[in-house]
Amino acid sequence: MIVPAYNESYIIRETVTKLLDEDFSVVVVDDGSLDNTGNELKGLPVFYIRHLINLGQGAALQTGIEYALRHRPGYLVTFDADGQHDVKDIRRMVELLEKEKAAIVFGSRFLPGSQTNVPVARKWVLKIARMINYLASGILLSDANNGLRVMTREAAMRLKITENRSSHNAQVQRMVSENKLRYCECAVNVSYSEYSRKKGLKNVNSIRILYDLILFKIFR
Amino acid sequence: MVPIQIILISAVVFLAFYMYLRLRSSLLDAILIFLFCIAAVFFIIFPDTTTRIAQWMGVKRGINLVFYFITLFFFFLILKLYSRLRRLEKKFTELIREQSLKQLDN
Repeated sequence: MIVPAYNESYIIRETVTKLLDEDFSVVVVDDGSLDNTGNELKGLPVFYIRHLINLGQGAALQTGIEYALRHRPGYLVTFDADGQHDVKDIRRMVELLEKEKAAIVFGSRFLPGSQTNVPVARKWVLKIARMINYLASGILLSDANNGLRVMTREAAMRLKITENRSSHNAQVQRMVSENKLRYCECAVNVSYSEYSRKKGLKNVNSIRILYDLILFKIFR
Repeated sequence: MVPIQIILISAVVFLAFYMYLRLRSSLLDAILIFLFCIAAVFFIIFPDTTTRIAQWMGVKRGINLVFYFITLFFFFLILKLYSRLRRLEKKFTELIREQSLKQLDN
């Protein structure tokens, strides 16, 4: 269970506690937070890794994955720290992964069965992002920017995220298409709280992500 | 010689000299800087030659041709700088990652 976190002191303890209650082993990658995200975790049985300075979500995920792989886990899960994901979805995703013999399952807030309250503007941005990610990676997902994913160890070992910021989503999908891995999507709940809306990516950030993606295409 | 020519020539010579000193470069770089400097001074003293070259290439005025080339050159430079930036970021990321994982081992 890999939780990248940047300045999440408000909610990190709650998120991590929920994961621990489900008996997952949790790796928190503190991406150079300036608040006391680290202190909030005191006393919890988690693996806590801290980047000295902020690198970006993609970099935090890669660090967490590399660390988690040392423990030879069966499956790796990426899970956003801001409390937007639903812990109950994880088991369902793992079941789906096993049933479909897939290497990776992507969470999706746009499949039937997903309970979500995506703001309208966000929805449109995500729809456009989905097409752009398709062009960049060759895989069309219904939700290309969901932080909840379950993958097997073999898939995680092939993953080398070099895109430090949010354009890493496309890179994960690219890895899947390049290695011709089996993948599927699973409807997940995403709740937009006041907090996660303030904390998460803003719609304007998508322009930066697009820029990163184009550069990634050029300089790969 | 008009004032602008004096200003431009001294600026070019100063910059070339400065670059040479700063880069402490190889012979090849020094020659390149020198040739570039000579060409720049030549075009400053005989600006009409750029117009002749431009017309030979199908562009009306010399200054337009220079402008086109400068645009291309700067675009190339930005790309070059950006790729260097990305390489730097990559090394930097590896460094931070290594450090953070090592800290956990202790």
